[in-house]
Amino acid sequence: MLEIKKLSVSVEKNKILDNLDLTIGSGEVHAIMGPNGSGKSTIAHTLAGNPNYNVDSGQALFNGKDLFELDPSERSLEGLFLAFQYPIELPGVSNASYLKQILNVHRKYEGKDPIDAAEFLKILKEKSNRLNIPMEMHSRFVNTGFSGGEKKKNEVLQMDFLNPSLVIMDETDSGLDVDALRQTSEAVNQLRSSDRSFIIITHYLRLLEYIEPDYVHVFQDGKIVESGDKKLAHKIDKEGYAT
Amino acid sequence: MSKLNQKVDSHDCLIQIVRNNLVVSNESKYINCSALEESGSINLNIEVLESDIATRINLQALRDSYINLNIEISLLKGARLEVLDESEYSKGSEIKINSELKQGSSFELYRLNKFNQSTENKYYHTCNLSRNCVFKDFNFTNGSKQMTNETIISLAHEHAKYIGSGVVITNSTNCNNTLKINHIAPSAISDCSFKAVSRGNAAVTFNGKISVDENCSNTVSNQISKGLIMDEESKVNLIPKLEINNDDVVCSHGAASGKPDENVLFYLTSRGISRKDAEKIYIQGFLGEYIYKIDNAQMQAKAKQFISQNA
Repeated sequence: MLEIKKLSVSVEKNKILDNLDLTIGSGEVHAIMGPNGSGKSTIAHTLAGNPNYNVDSGQALFNGKDLFELDPSERSLEGLFLAFQYPIELPGVSNASYLKQILNVHRKYEGKDPIDAAEFLKILKEKSNRLNIPMEMHSRFVNTGFSGGEKKKNEVLQMDFLNPSLVIMDETDSGLDVDALRQTSEAVNQLRSSDRSFIIITHYLRLLEYIEPDYVHVFQDGKIVESGDKKLAHKIDKEGYAT
Repeated sequence: MSKLNQKVDSHDCLIQIVRNNLVVSNESKYINCSALEESGSINLNIEVLESDIATRINLQALRDSYINLNIEISLLKGARLEVLDESEYSKGSEIKINSELKQGSSFELYRLNKFNQSTENKYYHTCNLSRNCVFKDFNFTNGSKQMTNETIISLAHEHAKYIGSGVVITNSTNCNNTLKINHIAPSAISDCSFKAVSRGNAAVTFNGKISVDENCSNTVSNQISKGLIMDEESKVNLIPKLEINNDDVVCSHGAASGKPDENVLFYLTSRGISRKDAEKIYIQGFLGEYIYKIDNAQMQAKAKQFISQNA
């Protein structure tokens, strides 16, 4: 599904990723752990097409397509989804209206008609219930005045709406209390399938206790320095990154 | 010269300026309306009498020529008037309104004008508010080649209240906006907001002046102006001015302009929305905050639609 080859990325001339290689197969869940500043969020934003991140060299093939030839919206339409660590506030636009717009953009790309208002409301209720999101939240402006947990749940809700094939979760667990973490993880687990892959970026083991990864990679100085299975996450939790 | 002088008969009143004449439809015991046309200039007098129910006027300028319109509005004690103008003024316009609000009256003015981009349009409004009057003034425009908006408000008696909101979405235009609020009496309130989107080599200026006289204790006055500059060639110039001559007041003002936040645009595009549509949503959001100040549901829907069509 995703093949990253010798990827080097810089931000304002500072090299962050250095000759990174990573291959993710269909249906696989890869966890990326690592200390602050090791390049975890950089890989997420680079794959999603954030213009602040410069690809100096390397390639990323997503379902056979050169990801770096696509603009951010095309990457999304092709099935890539980034759940932001810091979801952006959008005052003046209601959450319901926003969700409907992004859903219809994807439906149009798939050759479908815009969703009927009643059908949208039905789906919105169903998906919101799964995440324990009150319907009242959707009449508020996008992420504006939302708590940290509400923002993260709203990211997972968008993911659920857009039905992506590759999901990158950038520290989705930060800002979530125990209950919200469980609800969010359960929603993510329900979305796991053989044709959907996940990259889960996290500092902590606790998220991986709920969403069990197939592979764990440790980032340091823009490179993968160690890879393994879930046991590696337990080792990091016990010993830290220093050893 | 044509002259109309008739009583109009329901709370909903239609005033149309058409090719060869002026049409004032509907009769009402609550409103006196007369129109006089002379030397290409139309003089419209509207007097609203005291009533429990608001009178709604729909003003439609349908004439395919430059429109020079002078409107005198008089709201008698306790009267309520709502005016909606969605005219396009296809050949340009100069509109002068002089409104006088007597004690306890209420005036709502909604101007949603999508002007022809090649025309020149001027708008001047002077409004005098008596005790316990409320004037809600909402102006939405897409701008025109040359545009002038000037509103002067006098809060002449205690507990008069002005709520004003201006939204300009310009495209290759020069747009000069002036709003002067004069607090002449104590315990009056003014709350003004102005937002402009400037693009396509447009230049928007907003001069917002609040003056509070020495005797005006318990004044509350807020003014905020914001500009969104969509490209390198366009400009927004916001000039707030406060002249406060009394210490017992609550006054605030703020002005800010800048380009769209690229982080927001990236967020939207990362959801599959094209850059062009992301900018449109950004503009809708920027202006949408003000729409919620309109408490009239029908007018709020019209304002939303206007922004959606012109963003």
